[in-house]
Amino acid sequence: MLSSTFALAALRWTSRRLHYSSHMQLFANALIAGSLAALIAGGLALVYGVLGVFNLALGQLALTGGYVTWWLHQVLDLPLFPSVIGGLITGALMTWLTFEVFVNPFYKHHRFLPLVTTIAWSMILDGLILLVFEERPRSILPGLKKTFEIFGAHISVEQCVLIALTLIALVVFAYVFHCTPFGRKLRAVVQHDTAALSLGINAPALHRFIFILSGIFAGAGGIFIGIDQNLSPTLAFSLTIKAYAAIIAGGKGNIWGAIICAYLIATLEQLLVGIHWFGVFYVPAGYQQTVALLFIIIFLLCRPSGIFAARARAA
Amino acid sequence: MRKFFAGLSLLSIALAACSGASNETIKLGYIGPLTGDAASYGADTLHGVQIAVDEINAAGGIDGKQVELIAEDGKCTGSDAATAAQKLINVDKVVAIVGGQCSGETLAAAPIAEAAKVVMISPVSSSPDVTEAGAFIFRDYPSDALKTKAMAKVFAEKGYGKIAIISENTDYATALRDSLVAAVGADAVMFNETTEPGTKDFRSLMTRLEDAKFDVFVPNGQSDAFIAAAMQQYREAGFTEPAFSQDVADSANLGQIAGEAVEGMELINTSSKLGEGGADSFAVHFRAKFGEPQSNLSFATLAYDATNLLAKVIGEVGTDGTAVRDGVAKITYVGAAGTFHFDENGDVIGIGYALKKFEDGKIVELSTVTPD
Repeated sequence: MLSSTFALAALRWTSRRLHYSSHMQLFANALIAGSLAALIAGGLALVYGVLGVFNLALGQLALTGGYVTWWLHQVLDLPLFPSVIGGLITGALMTWLTFEVFVNPFYKHHRFLPLVTTIAWSMILDGLILLVFEERPRSILPGLKKTFEIFGAHISVEQCVLIALTLIALVVFAYVFHCTPFGRKLRAVVQHDTAALSLGINAPALHRFIFILSGIFAGAGGIFIGIDQNLSPTLAFSLTIKAYAAIIAGGKGNIWGAIICAYLIATLEQLLVGIHWFGVFYVPAGYQQTVALLFIIIFLLCRPSGIFAARARAA
Repeated sequence: MRKFFAGLSLLSIALAACSGASNETIKLGYIGPLTGDAASYGADTLHGVQIAVDEINAAGGIDGKQVELIAEDGKCTGSDAATAAQKLINVDKVVAIVGGQCSGETLAAAPIAEAAKVVMISPVSSSPDVTEAGAFIFRDYPSDALKTKAMAKVFAEKGYGKIAIISENTDYATALRDSLVAAVGADAVMFNETTEPGTKDFRSLMTRLEDAKFDVFVPNGQSDAFIAAAMQQYREAGFTEPAFSQDVADSANLGQIAGEAVEGMELINTSSKLGEGGADSFAVHFRAKFGEPQSNLSFATLAYDATNLLAKVIGEVGTDGTAVRDGVAKITYVGAAGTFHFDENGDVIGIGYALKKFEDGKIVELSTVTPD
């Protein structure tokens, strides 16, 4: 009697597990893609909030971090950890160069000037990446990753590390941003640049710091792509576009809105596709990105200032 | 200045007349990418043609006349190939052309050759459009349209009745997808998704794929980056069903970046060993003269065969364009790549495909596949 109850329970559990396993997998997929998107969009949201400038070379800066890590690990045979640090440092240095040459001299005159200069810089970087790292795809960790199963979802160690690191970075950032004197200065600059300056906050130094920070986050995203998938030189532009979609949908300059929207877009992309909606509509995989961005447009039609705009004013 | 040009053109006409009168050579043209991204194909095929011309001339030429090879750079673009064809046909007055190599070159040069009734044989072009290019246009490289028939044949032999395919949204990959679906029948395709070019995240598709029952997975990409990412995520999702791909997967890169994810994956492409075998084979002659081929020995072998075939036909019927065309259309030629002939569209019959497999990160050829 008891054993049959157990067997029945086990059977029920298995069938439920089977039923939910694909949902869990989709949830895990969304978490992986969302973490990557949040990493790239988060820093950028801060840049947009503080400086009000677009950095359209962001995807290329992410790729630079990834490619340098690949070069250190696969060509120079350095261990993975120093290679990743090297990739992040290179990402930071390239972003600093981007700031000093293509943004800093221009953005005070008009905040749209860097739009043009960073597009030019992104094209130069595209060419340089092609020249230095060639067209063929590169993988930082070639071959298969070890996967294990949690609640029926296959996930690799590297992906767990990405999700965890992104969450840690977000928590640390939240703490610094909301609970420290330095964070208060940052928020002051976000709210009103000139007023902050008049209160003795060194706004230009903070601008530089925030800009470089966004490059480090982007570089981390590029490194993750190189570890989890592979790098190819044409990848950059779509990374930039997705990050900006998250920022604009999240309410321009609202960093938490941007991060939530990055996760939201990624989740929509994973969930929308390949399902028969109401048994009639079917979204082919080729429209994955289109449909997610279409949702964002519909959101914006209802709330033109961004989904989380109200919270931005309160911040 | 104008006078100078007039004088120059008169001079050149006189020269042309002179050379025409005293010239007892038979001119063969070559069009191929000698510079640019595809230059490695150009180098190999031109070397193949040169070996053939040298051998013909060493053996006394065609009917006692030496063969003169005139090579023009098509740069793998239609406009350069058209210019090259104009020059070879109208200025050099070649009897026949080996070329173009890139399909774009062949398609652009074809109308010019067709109008002048000059036979053109391409050793490399695979686009299905070349089939319709004209009555004077031949190729000894199989059309992509045949590749999916060969794949369907292998699937039938291996008992792969149900197919799952993920394609990249590019001209080449979607055309291959459509003809594969036609070759195996729509009912056999259990999963058929097409993603944007450059996609690297296939995880959701892999989750959907779990609901499909299939015997073989076909990663159908335009680039090895696509196939590498798809195969990694396919294996990481825990699928054990075999994978089967097309010529893009015939890339040494793939073994390096995808590693054990592509281990055991099979694919169909033309053999890269045409012309190999034996101490006196074309491969031995080629390596003695030019070293290792830059892209693929098969391309050089097919260019060599195309040249020898043209020389044989010209030796039999003379240099009249229409007579050469009829001769080429009728011939069954025993060449270094094998025995082949042309169908009514000028497409080759007899050059088959090879079934290849990733073993220990390397691509090995298992057997030849001849589509029915």
